[in-house]
Amino acid sequence: MSFFLAVEISLREIFAHKFRSFLSMLGIVLGVSSLVATMGLTAGIEKGTKAILQQIGGLERVQVRPKAVETEEVDFWMISPGRTLTDAKAIRESVPSVTHISPELRNWTPVTAGGEEKGYNVNGVFPDYSFINSHSLAAGRFISDLDIANANRVVVIGNQIAETLFPSASPESILGKTVLLQRIPYEVVGVFSLYEREQDKVRRERGVKSARPARAGKNRWDPFRQKNESVLTPFSTMFYDFKSGANSQHTQETVPLEQLAFRVGDLDFFRESIDQVRAVLDVTHRGVDDFDFDTREDMFSQMESSMRATRISGGLIAGISLLVGGIGITNIMLASISQRVREIGIRRAIGARASDIFVQILIESVAIALIGGALGVCAGIFLMQVLIWVAPGENMPVLTMQSVALSVAFAFLAGVFSGIYPAFKAAALDPITALRYE
Amino acid sequence: MTLLDLQGVAKIYKIGGQEIRALDGIDLQIGEGEFVAIIGPSGSGKSTLMHLIGCLDTPDEGSIIVCGNDISSASSNGLARVRNREIGFVFQSFNLLPRFDVVDNIALPMAYAGVGARERRERAEALARKVGLEERLANRPSQLSGGQCQRVAIARALANDPKILLGDEPTGNLDSKTGDAILAMFRELHAAGKTVVIVTHDPEIAAVCDRVIEIKDGRIRRDYLSPESVR
Ligand SMILES: Nc1ncnc2c1ncn2[C@@H]1O[C@H](COP(=O)(O)OP(=O)(O)O)[C@@H](O)[C@H]1O
Ligand SMILES: [Mg+2]
Repeated sequence: MSFFLAVEISLREIFAHKFRSFLSMLGIVLGVSSLVATMGLTAGIEKGTKAILQQIGGLERVQVRPKAVETEEVDFWMISPGRTLTDAKAIRESVPSVTHISPELRNWTPVTAGGEEKGYNVNGVFPDYSFINSHSLAAGRFISDLDIANANRVVVIGNQIAETLFPSASPESILGKTVLLQRIPYEVVGVFSLYEREQDKVRRERGVKSARPARAGKNRWDPFRQKNESVLTPFSTMFYDFKSGANSQHTQETVPLEQLAFRVGDLDFFRESIDQVRAVLDVTHRGVDDFDFDTREDMFSQMESSMRATRISGGLIAGISLLVGGIGITNIMLASISQRVREIGIRRAIGARASDIFVQILIESVAIALIGGALGVCAGIFLMQVLIWVAPGENMPVLTMQSVALSVAFAFLAGVFSGIYPAFKAAALDPITALRYE
Repeated sequence: MTLLDLQGVAKIYKIGGQEIRALDGIDLQIGEGEFVAIIGPSGSGKSTLMHLIGCLDTPDEGSIIVCGNDISSASSNGLARVRNREIGFVFQSFNLLPRFDVVDNIALPMAYAGVGARERRERAEALARKVGLEERLANRPSQLSGGQCQRVAIARALANDPKILLGDEPTGNLDSKTGDAILAMFRELHAAGKTVVIVTHDPEIAAVCDRVIEIKDGRIRRDYLSPESVR
């Protein structure tokens, strides 16, 4: 008997008993939809986390941080200059795989544009800062090499600072205005875009008033708060205005940095690049082991493990539903066979082999499972849409082809396994006994 | 040429420790082109014999050869093949598939013989026309009379153009007029070259056959040529 005919007969049988078939599909529908939904959910979390990671500098961003020296090295400690601009220059010259490098000075500075004075961390930076920290401008320009060379008194501010200093002024209109940093006048040359998470954005666009995270967002973790509260000046300007007075021996090259970050060009050579940077810094720090590297790998592996947990729990639910669904199909198929003993007898009498009957019943249960699987995929997509609608955000579930393929494959397997026993029973029926069955 | 050859065939049923020899030492040869009636009282073993000849069941003793196939030693698939190609079986209770229409019922044996969908349909329609059901192609068995159902069953039995046509009381569920029409159809098919064996307990039907085999208590009592055919 041809495969297509067997499929046709199975479908006819399934549609002849629509309600019964639907009931037997329910478990599979549940299993597949939860599988699709969890996989969509984890894919969404992955995508969202990656997006946030990207916006705060990406996996390629590495920070050099100071480290307490070992007790046996304590005597040398003084001979190391610590993190300085010299480090940055040495890395730039010796490690070509480092594409950007950003040394920073920081000073807690009272800031005002005429109104109330308020303290902020003001950073003295180089042009690479903008790229390493994934900044984008709403208006104006970023700090240039010329600003560094001339130690221009220019400032680039984050969107939140702009809103505080110049309430409800457009970014363009702020350009050229003067901001006082510790009473020294600086010209605003650039304003950053507003950085926000997808869910905050949606909430703001839906017109919820309190969404503007002036103070409301304070108790909640906002990965972009720091970026939105940037106040940036050229490195040299900061040095001359705020850092040179304290210790007259320091030059721009020797002043200790508050931050030293760089960006690795190719993630495939991440480890090698770090090792090269370490070799360079060993020289500039005169062999004192007083620095270490902060990478985003920890964050990444944390994300991975939380996703694994989601995946496992979702997979467990899906697995149990598929098992229950499979048992449901087995049950219905057994019932259906006992109603069809005579039909099976007739088929055997006119020449069906035992294997023909086996295949027919198996195809029928696989068809039920696949139809259930298709319904389950639809239900899963619907579930995801509901989630997207209820809780929009960075972590919105995404539908992947793999999740659909995997779910359908599982449904198929459930169909095969649940069909084997009934098919075997049906095929084992003796022709004459089946034919005489009332 | 001998199509059916039974030697010392016995079929034994065991019920509660008691042995019932439904068939007991049957020796029988039926040649190509014969028209045979099997008669006997109820419970004498006629159906059991037909099931053995029709390869629906296997004997407990003796040997059966159908169209050159040794049934007693054939595999399950081998038996299925003989049922499918060499034998057309017509039952008293029609045994049609209730959810299939006339054409699909007739075409079913062809499906198991591996005939393509198109040819199946064409041949099934031709057979339906041959048994006079060209108006009822899309009807299901429940929409047909008993006589019409038996015509569908005969058409189905002819689907793979078998040599042998078996009928186990094919007129048993029909009124005498329709029964006569079905019987006429068997005679026609015999005239067209089929070997026909039918079970009946109607002496009138037996009278129109060439050869009559009388069974009682699982044994052949008489085996004679019908007087009419001699004449
Ligand atoms: N499956 C069976 N189990 C037990 N006994 C059976 C079975 N089939 C037939 N018999 C017995 O075998 C004998 C012959 O039956 P059967 O061939 O149906 O007779 P007929 O068709 O001539 O009326 C009867 O005694 C019947 O009770
Ligand atoms: Mg009988």
